[in-house]
Amino acid sequence: MPKYTSMAYDNWGDMIFGTAKNPVSIGLGPVKLGGKTVYPQIVPHPRPRSAESKDKILREYQRMTEDALERCVALGFPGIVIEFEHIYQMTSQPEWAAAIFRQAKDQMQEYYDKYGLKSALVSTVADLRKPDMVNMRSSQELTWMLETFASTAENGADVLSIETMGGKEVFDWAVQRQDIKGVIFGIGVLSSRDMAWLWPQIVDTAKKNNITAGGDTDCARGNTAMFLAGGYTATDLPHTFAALTRGCSAARSLVAYEQGATGPTKDCAYEDPIIKAITGVPITMEGVASACAHSEMQSNVVSAVVDLWSNEAVEYHDMFGGSTVEVFTEILGYNVAQMNASIAMGQEKVLRDINISSDKYRDVHGFVLSPDNAYEIGQAIVDNNESYYARSRAAVLKVGELITADSKMELSKFERDALDKARREVEALPDSEDDFVNMCLDEYKKVPGFDPSSYGF
Amino acid sequence: MPKTVGELLDFSTIFTRYDLKLARQMREADTVGADAVLQSIAQGVVEGDEESVGANTDKALSDHKPTQIIDTLIAGMGEVSKLWDEGVYYLPQVILSSDALMVGLEKAEDAMGGDVKKRGTVVMHCAHGDIHDIGKNIAVALIRANGFKVVDLGSDVPEDDVVKAVKDNNADLVTGTALMTTTMAAFANIAGMLKKEGLNLPFVCGGGAVSEEYVTGFDFGVYGDEAKQGPPMAVDAASGMSWEDMRAKWNLVS
Repeated sequence: MPKYTSMAYDNWGDMIFGTAKNPVSIGLGPVKLGGKTVYPQIVPHPRPRSAESKDKILREYQRMTEDALERCVALGFPGIVIEFEHIYQMTSQPEWAAAIFRQAKDQMQEYYDKYGLKSALVSTVADLRKPDMVNMRSSQELTWMLETFASTAENGADVLSIETMGGKEVFDWAVQRQDIKGVIFGIGVLSSRDMAWLWPQIVDTAKKNNITAGGDTDCARGNTAMFLAGGYTATDLPHTFAALTRGCSAARSLVAYEQGATGPTKDCAYEDPIIKAITGVPITMEGVASACAHSEMQSNVVSAVVDLWSNEAVEYHDMFGGSTVEVFTEILGYNVAQMNASIAMGQEKVLRDINISSDKYRDVHGFVLSPDNAYEIGQAIVDNNESYYARSRAAVLKVGELITADSKMELSKFERDALDKARREVEALPDSEDDFVNMCLDEYKKVPGFDPSSYGF
Repeated sequence: MPKTVGELLDFSTIFTRYDLKLARQMREADTVGADAVLQSIAQGVVEGDEESVGANTDKALSDHKPTQIIDTLIAGMGEVSKLWDEGVYYLPQVILSSDALMVGLEKAEDAMGGDVKKRGTVVMHCAHGDIHDIGKNIAVALIRANGFKVVDLGSDVPEDDVVKAVKDNNADLVTGTALMTTTMAAFANIAGMLKKEGLNLPFVCGGGAVSEEYVTGFDFGVYGDEAKQGPPMAVDAASGMSWEDMRAKWNLVS
């Protein structure tokens, strides 16, 4: 149930990259996140066909891990976090995942023993539950996931994370139709309930193995909206609609931390500046260096309050400068060196503000993730914390209010109309969660595969 | 010099708002209905109004042939496509229009006592091991709204099932989407299996991680860049265009 009733920070100006109110230490060194230093996180991804056998996939991960570690010592990077986002074959075969993680941890231990290179390993288990195909609370896919959390926790993982899929069926239906009510139901209610059910189990596994329960992201929903919105020339979704969705994402992702997760948060949770403002946990963000995985309109502003700077995912290939893993480890390493140099020189707030200026008014998504606005949205969430629905609705309304109130955030007529329409629709929604849920259970029973029992209804 | 973000007013060297330069004006859709009643159906499709399309279709069925109504629905959808191409409409408006069209189509087909002859058959799926299906679902809606029978196999579909569906439905086109490179490997397998079965048809593949280079590396493969290309590609396939000709038309590599 909702827990946060106040903000971790007195004001947004106190928020800065590298420092978190509640730092977390992980892995070898240890890597202390939020303790006045930013660290890089590389996320390597295996090539197609490398998963054809266990030996092949082990060799792929062995090479990718080696490349990251070696590039760090070649260039003098003090530490690195490596995240393995599970491919299907890893989560569905817990023994494969165990072997991959054990191998990687052994490699990290070697580099720590020889060079003192600090490192940590994140296990992001794949959520194989597709809500319109399986029951979210009982399926073979869930069994695999829980077994793989355990197998990786027992074999070298330092952090457990996931990108949960709850509410995806209703959200997809709604976002394709620019239906903000469905978005709030899918993300704010269904996804939140799914997380509240699943996360205690993840936290329990982490505790049993004396490791960290990291975080969750609204990738399947909030990022889908962001990617549909695209850049200036895309016509798949109004940008203002994606920004409203992001407010809802924050209200939802908070559930992980209410259930015992401590951060570092999961990198593709763009809502994390809002999460940090509320919880004070160290956050992982992706921006400039994640261009290898996708394009976005807020690559600099998202670094403003980051603690672990990530590249999202890069497939393993050769480039002129080395493998993609080597190249992106280098890019990330230098990015964070710049941030850490500014901290050492007492200029971190200047760099933070420069990065905010780059993107705050480039697009509404960057606008809502700018720490000043993120703080306001977080405040709206904690002020309306009586239910998942209430705080989701409040977050969406606050996003709309912030965009409308700032004349420097220019909008086309189309975007303004889309924003105004959505705001009117949200304002007209019932105040009571029960009324809202009953209305939505009736309206969205038409969504193919939607099973309310998956969410405890 | 501004010292804070709030003091900074001139962003012109930091970014250029090309979207504001592109800002398109809403325009009315062209009249496509043969009479006022039929035009009200077309207008309902353009506005994505399921209720209005349903009610006006019921009304029109009393003195119009179902085929006239179907032609009007499709013409209305044609207007929607134009508005989308011009950037006046975004994808959600197109999806809502397609929902409205399906309401009318179902009523017209009921009145006919059977399905209207479709322009062709398309089998669609997400790769084995892949559950990211929003792109596929958007393409399904667009292709269906353009008069095709779509056999939607869903997500995480084993290769055998895809080939069987192509065979059982005598498909004109098969499509596959994958978000991850580790799942798109299934497409080459499917292409091999189709060949072995003597099935020769275009296999349009797309999705986040899928590349033209990969898809054009196996027979039948035609790379699909975005869901919007689905309907015209289906038209090409249904007209009998070979996969080689489709590849030459839609992709850079031959």
